[in-house]
Amino acid sequence: MADRRRINGPGGTTLPPLYDDDPLPRPTRSREPNGVRPVYLKTGVTPSASGSAYLEVESRNGAPTTGMKLSCTVHGPRSLPRSAPFSPHMVLTTHVKYAPFATKSRRGYLRDASERDLSTHLETALRGVLIADRWPKSGVDVVVTIIEGEEARQFAVDQGSEEWDMMNVLSACITVAAAAVADAGIDCVDTVSGGVAALVSMSGDGKSEIVLDPVATEHDEILAACCVAYLPSRDEITNLWLKGEVSSSDPSLYRTLIARAVHASKGTSQAIVGSLNEAVTGA
Amino acid sequence: MATDGVRSVALPGQVLGPVTKFAPGAGTHIFQGNVVSSLMGNVSVVNPAKAPGPAKRLNKITGAALPKDELATISVVRHGSRREVLPDVGNIVLAQVLRLMPKQAIVMIKQVGDTVLQTEWQGVIRVQDVRATEKDKVKIYESFKPGDIVRAQVISLGDQANYYLSTAQNELGVIMATSEAGNDMVPVSWKEFKDPETGVSELRKVAKPS
Repeated sequence: MADRRRINGPGGTTLPPLYDDDPLPRPTRSREPNGVRPVYLKTGVTPSASGSAYLEVESRNGAPTTGMKLSCTVHGPRSLPRSAPFSPHMVLTTHVKYAPFATKSRRGYLRDASERDLSTHLETALRGVLIADRWPKSGVDVVVTIIEGEEARQFAVDQGSEEWDMMNVLSACITVAAAAVADAGIDCVDTVSGGVAALVSMSGDGKSEIVLDPVATEHDEILAACCVAYLPSRDEITNLWLKGEVSSSDPSLYRTLIARAVHASKGTSQAIVGSLNEAVTGA
Repeated sequence: MATDGVRSVALPGQVLGPVTKFAPGAGTHIFQGNVVSSLMGNVSVVNPAKAPGPAKRLNKITGAALPKDELATISVVRHGSRREVLPDVGNIVLAQVLRLMPKQAIVMIKQVGDTVLQTEWQGVIRVQDVRATEKDKVKIYESFKPGDIVRAQVISLGDQANYYLSTAQNELGVIMATSEAGNDMVPVSWKEFKDPETGVSELRKVAKPS
């Protein structure tokens, strides 16, 4: 009888996987500094969930170097577990998880610290949008799965740019979750969307400039970056994440950076509104 | 469906019209003097001259604004119809009895108004809420049996787990019951169901047939 207590090795011989080097050259930014990457959004992709959405971000020139694929499912509003205390409003839970194959460095099945961090940011971003007191005693689970992360390529690992990519991932998480929440028919004050702006140092001279929707591998060095969750029709920010070092010579730089991130989210928002309108009229 | 000057579909955050012109219905909220959509779906405008539309679920905001019935009510309905509703105080619900305790019956709410729920919510009918008269003589075991379908009214959001329901009206109570022998029974009086095959009567809090 087979040993069922331990994980047995395969019966036959196996070969360890050999990965090719990325033959692709290091990408350069072909977009304008104020350009955001086009997105593809589809709602209602998961029939068993109350609401769902799928978001794809691809670089404009179609090169498969940078891009993200995310899917989000919303479960609920449903009754809280019996152990939960009475809540006069909706209880929001968010889960962000990378698929194990989403990045070059393989992810575990349990959520690690960065994924929990993303979940917390996403929860803050969504909490400001939901009209929670319309759903007393109910819970909503928002689950975002990152099918393909930006750091899918080797040079992202070489360069150590994963930490900057997290901002792009969060921005996409916010956008896809907002679409899924709208698909689930949960009351929101607005359609929130994420946007990222970064201060990058230009190659060659030592100058720096602010770009929208930065891809870390496309730039020499990112000095600072900012990710916002923005409500376009209310002009409100529900979540703000800013990190990096900004020289103190320009005190208004932080504000400029946030304003540019808001600008990026407006660009994304237009695309999202278009897709959602299509989903409503097409259904 | 949309009338002049009103968009036909709306997304959360889109302005539907000024609050002086429309009364906010389901799926909307008020922001800075405008009625704003809070759902993704089709916009419907119900003029008060016609029959006031079926109020699916009155939330607090619409509840406060309802007396302004000279305004047309604007609401956003989820496309594909599958809008989840919650039991709210005052709603008539259909529920199935799960189990009995000496002081209360635990039920599972299946339907609110005309809407079948996607998720199941637990409710409780306490012994003092079973009927309006002779409350001290009510016995739960003589009012319900597990498996019965009960029409009840929500009286409170209750505690963390249960909605509190009441059957203390003539129209409320057991509407479908099965006998010990497993046959569907017919109501014969305000407190009795009868099995037409075996002729045995069982005690229930019977809802007055409408």
